[in-house]
Amino acid sequence: MKTLLPFLLLVMSGLPSMGAMKFKRERIPVTVAPDAKEVMVEFPFTVDGDGAKVLSYDAPCTCLSARIEPLNPDRSARLLWKPGESGKVVGKFELGNFRGTVEKAIVLKLENQKAVQLVVEVTIPELIKISPVTQRWEQGSAGEEKSFKIEIHKDHPITIKNVRGTNPNFPYELIEHEAGRSYEIRCKALDTKTPGFGMIRIETDSLYTRFKRLQIFQVVQKKKP
Amino acid sequence: MKTILHPAAWMFTLSAFAAGLTWLIVGPPDRSVPCVDAELKEGQVCLATVREWDPAEILWVDARPRAEWEKSGKEGSLLFNDDQKEDWNALDQEFMAVQAVEPRENVVIYCNSEACGSSTVVAEHLRQGFGQMLGFKVWVLHGGWKALAAEGLVE
Repeated sequence: MKTLLPFLLLVMSGLPSMGAMKFKRERIPVTVAPDAKEVMVEFPFTVDGDGAKVLSYDAPCTCLSARIEPLNPDRSARLLWKPGESGKVVGKFELGNFRGTVEKAIVLKLENQKAVQLVVEVTIPELIKISPVTQRWEQGSAGEEKSFKIEIHKDHPITIKNVRGTNPNFPYELIEHEAGRSYEIRCKALDTKTPGFGMIRIETDSLYTRFKRLQIFQVVQKKKP
Repeated sequence: MKTILHPAAWMFTLSAFAAGLTWLIVGPPDRSVPCVDAELKEGQVCLATVREWDPAEILWVDARPRAEWEKSGKEGSLLFNDDQKEDWNALDQEFMAVQAVEPRENVVIYCNSEACGSSTVVAEHLRQGFGQMLGFKVWVLHGGWKALAAEGLVE
């Protein structure tokens, strides 16, 4: 035991001390403008106990990047935090293709502390709602007329400039119920003997890229045995 | 110094011996991703469950960045991610070209890991846009690509 004592002391001195990084909020909901391309979200934290050590921090999505502020004087990421200090994790979320509500997480791995997931819950207003996005006819059916309803957000009128179908088997008609507010596309399937699908491309005068080009689908689906 | 090094060397040797013995008796470490059905969120599925399904009725969808899909995507998988560089209209068209006319019963989406979130976004999009109307189910694979890799299903 006497021989082992110095070794045990050495091992114990290397044991990490307990600390805690505490976040005021681990989930932040945010609603952005329809044309927003990115959004920044801040998760403030305080450190208590014997301090905290960040082992890694990562946003496992190409659309979200994270950094811990303040940085070290040499602009590198600061991973060691003393008790009483405070800072923030800043997430930059690129919105690209998203519509509706999307959740993304930043994962922080800390020494002697359970990993923390910081969730950004972003809502991008859906200025155009198409329902349904797909219409289906069963193989051998009558190919009856079906309809797609297009409703526009009340604060952001959008006009449909053009609709273009890709498959002549699915003739269609655009009906304007209220200019800039409410539309309908009616279509039918001429031949339902052969399975196949078509698409209608919708062009709008929206100022926002994500609502300029939309598409809907028509499908004659193979009959299941 | 000697008083420290001697016992340290002994402990190292004993630990290495125990580790080697364990490897021989028990086998290599289990790298599989644990998954309990009862603990899954709605729309998630364990790989063990997927493996019980008819492979011909599964469409695999890779929700990782394009470069990763090209490098190590599951054979026969489609790309559908939420990357800013991708055009969702084009991805929708590619998806429908495969799944519209004769849809497979299950679409299983995998991302890099549990925290990725892309699978969930893509799953919701495919479920609402197509799955409900065309009659197929959309699932998010618990553990994502790592679960597939642990079972040797991707390289």
